[in-house]
Amino acid sequence: MDKRLGVYICHCGGNISDYVDVEKVREAIENDGCVLMSKTTQFACSDSNQKEMVLDIQEQNLSGIVVASCSPKLHLNTFRQVSERADLNKYNYVHANIREQASWAHSDDKKGATEKTILLVKAAIAKARLAESLTPNKIMAINAVAVIGGGVAGLKAAISLSDKNTQVVLIEREPFIGGRVGQWGEMFTTNQTGNELISSLYAQLVTRKNVQIYTNSEVVSYSGSIGDFSLKIETTPRYISQDCDAKELQKAMDVCPVVVPDPFTFGITNRKAIYGFAASQYPKQATIDDAACTHCGACEKVSKNIDLSLQKEMVELHVGSVLMATGFDPYTPENGEFGYAENESVITLPQFKKLIDNSESKLIYKGKEIKNIAYIYCVGSRQGDEGNSYCSRYCCTSTIHSAIIAKKKFKNIHNFHFNRGIRTYGKQEVLYAESLKLGDLYLQATDDSPAEVYSENGRTWVKVNDILTESKEMQVEVDLVVLVTGMVPRSDKKVSTLFKLPKGRDRFLNEIHMKLRPVETAIDGITIAGTCQSPKNVAESVNSSLSAATKAFSYISKGELETEPIVVEIDAVKCTWCNECSTACPFDAITQGLDGDRKIAVVNTTVCKGCGMCTPVCPTDAIDLVTFSSKEIMNMIDALTEQI
Amino acid sequence: MANINPKFGEKLKEYGAENFNACYNCGTCTAVCSLSTPEDSFPRNMVRCSTLGQDQEIEASLKPWLCYYCGECSLHCPQDANPGELMMSLRRWLTAKYDWTGFSGLLYKSLAVTLISLIVVALGVVGFAYQQNFELESLMHYGHYFEMIAIGSVFAVVLVPNIIRMWYFVIIKPKKKVAFATYFKASGDFFVHMFTQKRSLGCDDNQVRWFEHLILVFGYLALLFTTVFLDWFDSKNLFVIALGYIESIAVFVITADFVNSRLKKQKAVSTHSQPSDWLFVVGLLLMGFTAFLVRLAIDMNMIQSQLWIFIVHLIVLAQWALIVVPFGKWTHFLYRSFAMYFAKLIELSK
Ligand SMILES: Cc1cc2nc3c(=O)[nH]c(=O)nc-3n(C[C@H](O)[C@H](O)[C@H](O)COP(=O)(O)OP(=O)(O)OC[C@H]3O[C@@H](n4cnc5c(N)ncnc54)[C@H](O)[C@@H]3O)c2cc1C
Ligand code: SF4
Ligand code: SF4
Repeated sequence: MDKRLGVYICHCGGNISDYVDVEKVREAIENDGCVLMSKTTQFACSDSNQKEMVLDIQEQNLSGIVVASCSPKLHLNTFRQVSERADLNKYNYVHANIREQASWAHSDDKKGATEKTILLVKAAIAKARLAESLTPNKIMAINAVAVIGGGVAGLKAAISLSDKNTQVVLIEREPFIGGRVGQWGEMFTTNQTGNELISSLYAQLVTRKNVQIYTNSEVVSYSGSIGDFSLKIETTPRYISQDCDAKELQKAMDVCPVVVPDPFTFGITNRKAIYGFAASQYPKQATIDDAACTHCGACEKVSKNIDLSLQKEMVELHVGSVLMATGFDPYTPENGEFGYAENESVITLPQFKKLIDNSESKLIYKGKEIKNIAYIYCVGSRQGDEGNSYCSRYCCTSTIHSAIIAKKKFKNIHNFHFNRGIRTYGKQEVLYAESLKLGDLYLQATDDSPAEVYSENGRTWVKVNDILTESKEMQVEVDLVVLVTGMVPRSDKKVSTLFKLPKGRDRFLNEIHMKLRPVETAIDGITIAGTCQSPKNVAESVNSSLSAATKAFSYISKGELETEPIVVEIDAVKCTWCNECSTACPFDAITQGLDGDRKIAVVNTTVCKGCGMCTPVCPTDAIDLVTFSSKEIMNMIDALTEQI
Repeated sequence: MANINPKFGEKLKEYGAENFNACYNCGTCTAVCSLSTPEDSFPRNMVRCSTLGQDQEIEASLKPWLCYYCGECSLHCPQDANPGELMMSLRRWLTAKYDWTGFSGLLYKSLAVTLISLIVVALGVVGFAYQQNFELESLMHYGHYFEMIAIGSVFAVVLVPNIIRMWYFVIIKPKKKVAFATYFKASGDFFVHMFTQKRSLGCDDNQVRWFEHLILVFGYLALLFTTVFLDWFDSKNLFVIALGYIESIAVFVITADFVNSRLKKQKAVSTHSQPSDWLFVVGLLLMGFTAFLVRLAIDMNMIQSQLWIFIVHLIVLAQWALIVVPFGKWTHFLYRSFAMYFAKLIELSK
C-alpha cells in the first residue's frame, strides 16, 4: 500500500518565503501520488503548528510526514516528537532543509531557489515513500565509570559520580594523584595552595567504598562500546612497601646512584630514582621511578622493604562509560626562543612558580639574587596560523598573581610585564588592578614585533616597541626572564589514540559541539573534562568535569540505553568477506563472523554510528545503511534530476 | 632606545603624585580633556612617561604647563589613577628641575625645610627690627626699599637663570630649530597669556575660576605697584589710599575663597593640597590682609602703638618675596606664561 503523506512547507518568518515562493512549491507537489495533504505555515516549529500536525496525522490517518524548513540540526527532534505524540513511528518523518540549502544559499536568484526547493521537497517525498517504522536499539549499561587522570578535573568527577552511587575507577598514570594543581603553591583566585585543594579532594575520596584508585597505572587496551567498555589496566609496582619509614627511605635515597631532573619542580631541582612524596602528593607511599631506575640493587641492600623483583600487574575492568581527564603539558619553548636554554637567566612560568615556593627570604636563582624580573607573555600561545593559535587563558592571571606574590614575599622586586594585551577576564581583573597599584610596569608589543631578549657581557636585557608609548623602543636590564608558557596537549597521546578520540585543530581533544554538547565526544559513552579538551583554569576545569560526570551518569543511570537504529545491515548472501568494509570503518564496528561456515562481515550495532563509510567500498554492494539504503538514495536522485 | 626606570615614579610621589601607576592606558583622560589636542595629547601620555620613568622626555615637554587642572580627567578615570594630580606633580617636579639652586625641590619634598625657612625669614625680620630699635620711621623706609630690591634680585639671581634653563630643556637640548625673528613674533602670545591665562577658559565650567584668577592677577600686580611705586603706606593722596584698600580687599576676598575651597575640597583641583599650595594661597591672603591692616592702623593713628602689625606685614612680605616668589608656586605663573611662549615658538617653527 502506498504511503499517505502530509507535507509541511515553512515560511520561517521570511527567511524562506522572502526568496522561495512557498505556495508555488506546495502547488508543485500537491498532486504527487501519495501526498494526501500539503500546507504552508509561517513557523513549522511553533506550538500551534505542532498541534495542527498532530491533529492532521490522526484525522487523516497519515502514515508519513515531510517537513521542509530549516536544518534538521535544529528541529529534527521537535518533529520526531510531534510524530510520536500522534502515534506515528518517528522514522516515518523525513526532513528537507530548504533554508540553508535553498533560500539562504540562493537569495540572489528567487526563481532558481524556488525550483531547487521543489526538487528538494520531491526528493524528501521520494524518501518518505520508502520509510519504515523502526525501533531504537536497546543495550545494557553497567553502572560504573572509569575516570582517566587524577588531576583536579578527574578527582572532582570521581567524587561527583560516587555521590550518584556509581562505581568509580580512577586511573592515574603517575605514582601520585593531584595533577598539575598538586605542583602549585598559592593559586589565584582564592589564594589556596595546590596542596590544600588536592588534600581536601583526596580526603573526600579515600573513604568512599564505591571508588577504586589505581595509581602508577595506565589503560593499555579496550574493547566494547557505550554501556559496556572492557578496559585492561597495567599497574607498575612502586617497589617500596608501605612499611618503609622516612629514615629507611632516606638511607635508600642516599645510596641510589641515579640523579634526574625532578619533573615535580620542572627540572629546577634534581631527585634520585627512588624518591618520597611532597605534601600535596597522595597516596603517602614512596616510589621508584621505573624509567630512570637501573635496577642496580643499591637501595634493596639498605632496606628490607624494597623489592625490585616485583612485576607489572594487569587487571581487566568493565565500565559503562569512560571520562577522560588527562590534562595538559606546559609548552616547552624551542631552544633560543626568547633566549630559552641559551641564556641561563631565562626560565618558564611553571619553573618560576616552583622557584618562588622553594625560596625563603631571598629570591635566588643560579646563585644570583633576583630583583628585576621580566615576564614575556603568550610564549607558545597566540602564535598565529603556523603555531598554537589559541590563547591559553590561565597564564595572564597566573603571571600577575605570581608577580604579586614575589613582590610581597621578597624585598626590592621590580616586575616588568611584556604582554600582548592582558586577558585577566572576569573576576580575575582585580588582580590586574592590584598589580598596577603595586607599581608593576606593563609594556605591550604588537603581534608582528614581539619583545626581544638579548644579552651583553653576561647582562640580560629585554626590549620592545611599546605601543602604549607611541611604539618607542623601550628596554630594561633584568636579573630573570620568565617565559609565560601556555598549555599544550599532553605529549603522550597513547590513551587518546587508543580510544580514537578526535582532536581539534589545536590538537586538544574535541567535543561534539563547543556550545551545545561541550563534554561529549564522537565516541558514544566517552566524555572529556578539564584541560585535555582545551586550556582552562581550575574553576573552568571543575565546571567541565562536573558536567562530564553528569553526562556520563546519564548514559548509565537507567541500566539500559537506547541507540539510533540507523546502522548498516549486511546481506549475508552477497558478502564475500573481502575485509574492505572493516578497514574503512572508523569505529571498529565490523568484524569477521560466520554464516554457516562461510566467512562474512558482522556489524556490532551498538558500535556502528551509521556514518556510511563502509557502504561505497563494498565491491558486491552487500551493505545497506538503514534509512539511507541504495534504493532510497537512488529514488531521491531520480526526484532531484526530474525536469520541472 | 629609552631605558625603563621604575624608580622615577617613586621620586614623583614625593612631589604629590599618587596612584598614577594604576593607569591601564584606556585613554579616557585624554578623551575628556578639553585642552588636549592631537598634536599635544595629554594627560595619558604624561602618565605613561611617568610610570616608565621617561624623565628626559618630561623635562623637554611643555604638556604639564598646557594643563590648567580642571580635574575632569581624574573624575572620569576608571582606575582612580588621578591623572590631573599627576600633571600638577609634574609641574612641581619641573619647577624643581628648572631651578638651578635646587631649593624648590627641597621645599616641595620637605615640610620641615619649608617651615624652617619660613621661621628663619621671620626671625631675620624681627632681628632687623630689633637692630633698628623698633623705630617705625626707619622700618617703613627700609620695608619700602626691601620690596624693590628683593624683587629685582630674585629675578636676576633666580628666576631669569631658571627661565633660561627651561628654554634650554625645551628648545635647545631637544634640538628644536627656532629662527631669531620668531622670538619676536611669538612675544604677543606671551603677554596675553601672562595676564589673562586665557587658555584656561578652554576648560569646561572654568569661567568663574578663570575670572577669579584674572582679578587676582590684576589685583596682586596693582597692589604691588601701588605699594612700591605709589608708596601707598606713605601716600596722602586719597585716590591712592582708596585704590590700595580696594586692591588689598580684592586679593583678600578671592584668596579667602580659594582657601575655603581647599578646606572643603569641593573641586578636583582643590582636593589634593600640598604644603606648597597652602603656602601660596595663605601667603597671598595674608599679604592682602596685613597690608590692609597696616594702612588701616595708619589711618586710625594707631600704627605707632601697634607696631607689631607692621612687623607682621613685613614678615609676610619677606617670606613671600624670598621663598614663594623665587621657589614656590608663584613660579608656576611665570613658567606657564613662558611655556605658552615656547609652545608658540615651536609651533611657528614647524
Ligand atoms: C604555571 C601554571 C599556573 C597555574 N596557576 C593556576 C592558578 O593559580 N589558578 C587556577 O585556577 N589555575 C591555575 N593553573 C591551571 C591549572 O593548573 C589547571 O586548570 C588544572 O591543572 C587542570 O586540571 P586537569 O585535571 O584538567 O589536568 P592536570 O592537572 O594536568 O591533571 C591531569 C592528570 O591526568 C594524569 N594523566 C595524564 N595522562 C594520563 C593517562 N594516559 N592515564 C592516566 N592518567 C593520566 C596526569 O598524570 C595528571 O595527574 C595554572 C597552570 C599553570 C601551567
Ligand atoms: S592568557 Fe594571556 S599570556 Fe596566556 S595566552 Fe592568553 S593572552 Fe597570552
Ligand atoms: S583615564 Fe586613568 S586609566 Fe585611563 S589612561 Fe587616563 S589615567 Fe590611565
